[in-house]
Amino acid sequence: MKRLKWLGAVLALAGLLTSAACGASGAASTGRRGPVTLRMTIWTANAAHLKLFDQIAAEYIKTHPNVKEIKFDPIPADNYATTLTTQIAAGHRPDLAWIGETSVPDFISAGALRPLNGTLTRTPGYRFGDLSPAATKLWQRGGTLYAYPFSTSPFGVFVNVGLLKQAGQKTPEELIKAGRWNWNTVIAENAAVAARTGKGGLVIRDFDYKAWDNLISLWGGWGAQAWSEDGKTCEFDRPEMIRAMTFLRKAVFTDKAIPAPGTVADFFAGQSAMTITQISRASLLKGAKFPWDLVPLPDGPHGPYAVFGQAGIGVLKKSKNAAVAADFLAFFTNPANSARLAAYFPPARTSQLTAGTLAKSNPLISRAQLQRLVVDGMSKAVVKPVHTDQAEITQTVRAALDPLWQPHSDAGAVLHGVCKKIQPLLGT
Amino acid sequence: MAGFWNMRRRNNLVGYLFVAPQLIGSVAFVLLPLLLIGWYSLHDYNVLAETVRFTGGQNYSKLVHDPNLPSVLAATALFSIGVTVLNLALALFLALLLNQRLAGTTVFRTLFFSPVVVSLVAWAIVWQFLLQSDGGINGMLHATGVSGPNWLRGNGTAMLALIVVQVIKNVGLNMVLFLAALQGVPHQLYEAAEIDGAGRWTRLRRITVPLISPTILLASIITVVGSLQAFAQIAVLTQGGPGTSTTVLVYYLYQQAFQFQHFGYGATLSLLLFGIVALLTAVQWRMRRKWVFNET
Amino acid sequence: MRRDLKTRSKLALYALLCVFCVPFVFPTWWMVTSSFKPVGQIFAMPPRLLPAHWDFSAYSQVFEFQPFARQYFNSCYIALVVTLGTMVVASLAGYAFARIRFPGQNALFLVVLIGLLIPSEVTIVPLFRIFESLGLTDTHWPLILVPMLGAPSVLATFIMRQFFISLPVELEEAARVDGLGQFGVFFRIALPLARPALAAVAIFTFLNSWNMYLEPIVYLSTPEKFTIPQALAQFVDAYGGPMWNVQLAAASLTSLPVLVVFVVAQRQFVEGLAHSGLKG
Repeated sequence: MKRLKWLGAVLALAGLLTSAACGASGAASTGRRGPVTLRMTIWTANAAHLKLFDQIAAEYIKTHPNVKEIKFDPIPADNYATTLTTQIAAGHRPDLAWIGETSVPDFISAGALRPLNGTLTRTPGYRFGDLSPAATKLWQRGGTLYAYPFSTSPFGVFVNVGLLKQAGQKTPEELIKAGRWNWNTVIAENAAVAARTGKGGLVIRDFDYKAWDNLISLWGGWGAQAWSEDGKTCEFDRPEMIRAMTFLRKAVFTDKAIPAPGTVADFFAGQSAMTITQISRASLLKGAKFPWDLVPLPDGPHGPYAVFGQAGIGVLKKSKNAAVAADFLAFFTNPANSARLAAYFPPARTSQLTAGTLAKSNPLISRAQLQRLVVDGMSKAVVKPVHTDQAEITQTVRAALDPLWQPHSDAGAVLHGVCKKIQPLLGT
Repeated sequence: MAGFWNMRRRNNLVGYLFVAPQLIGSVAFVLLPLLLIGWYSLHDYNVLAETVRFTGGQNYSKLVHDPNLPSVLAATALFSIGVTVLNLALALFLALLLNQRLAGTTVFRTLFFSPVVVSLVAWAIVWQFLLQSDGGINGMLHATGVSGPNWLRGNGTAMLALIVVQVIKNVGLNMVLFLAALQGVPHQLYEAAEIDGAGRWTRLRRITVPLISPTILLASIITVVGSLQAFAQIAVLTQGGPGTSTTVLVYYLYQQAFQFQHFGYGATLSLLLFGIVALLTAVQWRMRRKWVFNET
Repeated sequence: MRRDLKTRSKLALYALLCVFCVPFVFPTWWMVTSSFKPVGQIFAMPPRLLPAHWDFSAYSQVFEFQPFARQYFNSCYIALVVTLGTMVVASLAGYAFARIRFPGQNALFLVVLIGLLIPSEVTIVPLFRIFESLGLTDTHWPLILVPMLGAPSVLATFIMRQFFISLPVELEEAARVDGLGQFGVFFRIALPLARPALAAVAIFTFLNSWNMYLEPIVYLSTPEKFTIPQALAQFVDAYGGPMWNVQLAAASLTSLPVLVVFVVAQRQFVEGLAHSGLKG
């Protein structure tokens, strides 16, 4: 027994030393090795996406003999962040990684990402200044860019015009012209659809009474935010947030304009009148059997607003091939390739953020729709609330918000409770 | 040589050789990782920065003061007790039903067992749909005039739903074990008891249960350990909610270690979970002398 | 208890069994039939027992999106190797712990038992580190070695030990008198008698390996090396939304063969168990 334990301890120590040694040599040997293999973790397993990535990678390898292979490693989107962290913890770190907007603060503050400004500005023809400041805001700190936002996708409202007409309601186009495209009208219309057709009204997609950060597409209209700009103060208990949430509760439980918790109504299968989601989901409407429209978010009491969701690519600083990886990233996102990626991911380049460019790659959406949503929206857009230790804060807020989704509860009390729970987490 | 390799030594050698593969595996894949976990629990491990800092007992004092821990332990106890009691009772009941001389019991046996072989993730996804407030279960209840609750969102019902889903998935295994055991109980005992005027319930309590008690012990150990490790179904069905009412220990440790990236603290929670499982199993094992028939 | 029943109580029993069956059968039924429905109909209310019209496209898509046949083969051969390996490891260790007396036996048994108590979530990161340092990640070795020798095999050893303890010693003693050595007694006498327990171990082990989810996700990164449960999670549309009908088709393809094997072999399984040490 004793000997066994002793042996185990030695083995454990040896394991740790080896891993430490690997880390050290990795940092020292950057850039002076034979042909390397790069690995990029991604959360799409879509064949069309992968084909495009592989094409771009093949072109890069052709001109860069120092790179042997570039592997795109799909991880299921559901537990992407967790699996990526596990891989890093276990020493199996990728060279490049897709990073969701909500995890990027943790990556930056841990110092895990390699600054990109140097490589990107040095790359001939990259046109670093073309990147829209609104799009890069989340991905930089103190003017240093740590990840490239390859997807900047605005939230919009998809509308099943057929269902609206069936319930005798006005189309969004008519409402926008009349200057009445606001939350009160939207809820009234959806309540009418739900009552008269038996279908669902408005679905805030992916929210499902759990992923509360999607609610920014609603509370943005009230000028509310989850926490202050500097991230230090909880703002769930502010009057504007309480008003927004009270409005939402009324829409769900009194007006029945939003399907209640635990009911399924898939807009893209024709089961609900409207849905709020990112415009990239338009591809799900291919072959849709109902007439539809795509319009900006309705005005709130606070006025018009816009929201976009982002995803970035970062280079892991401790990767043995960090310099090569950064150089590949510069190639992957140069103006020409960015335009190709725009077929699936709305780009962060000002010159490509035009209705014309986007219309080419989003054949289902009209130029006018794109102009209104993407181009006009960009200037006034906000992003989802992000913070370091996001996962723990998200989970804590989710648990504390749960009572709000019961028919009888006091929004003010619940929201004060949320702040009591997360303020200690924000303060650190 | 022949003198050295006497009967006893040779016997010992065979013994060691026989257990060697299992023992080497246990050392490499169980003890060694466990030691590493112990080492992690003494450190603050920033996964993203890939830095490790010695913190001594900090994670342990965090464990003692963790405000979430009481509710996590309560949920764990509720889930495990619920699953174990319901599973063993239902397994025994089904086994007794199927132990009748009746045509077609094989078919029913197969049907009750079938969830065991369905992929757990697929099983959880299907039940998620059935348990929606407008899902299949409430549809059926509606037909009988009852309006069902929003199972996965209600404070008590979420836990109940988890327990039932877990039991239906796994009860077939225990049922088959019990069925096998029941078929080993000699008929004469029942006949004799009946002559003595013992009722159905008395026969069950006095003859059946004692005679199959070794199987009950094995089944209860497997079920308790399994219930303490249930993870995928919780991840799919409730994610620990509503509130934290279904956050059991294994899910909490997953959250801490992998989602919140408090890896050192996750390691500490792992040791706690390990301790609880070890303690419970030891207690069950000790108690076997009291109630398990024919065990020495 | 096993006596012929009156017709009325027979009917009551059948009714009871049928009602109890519903929650056991309906989910599987729904999984299989929904895989033949177009996506829009899967969540239609009220749920339909059969598709309005049968749509087989999900099944061809299963094979288009991924090297699913290859992944199927991976799962099959990994599960078979693990099952055979575990049967060998567990019967050897189980027999030694039950029958052979050697110094340190009880202590070693306790060491082995620890494996019974550890959820795989607990050890996954250290194990990953160990395999990474051996250069064995993105191979099938961790998925074979750990279940065969590590924590998952301990339950099998435990079952085998309990079985051998319950065997009457006389047979083995007689064989020993006839001049068989320790190994001969195990191989010629004890092991053939252990067939029912081995069958139970085989089924447990096969199912465990077949359904393994967390481990392949962590260890494997090349789609050609994936196993089926891991592949199930990969059937998503361009934006990470699950493709329900394709997932359900793949899930059906995963579950049905095992179900068929069980239906065919269940008599041996159950009746084998009846004669094993698990009875009492």
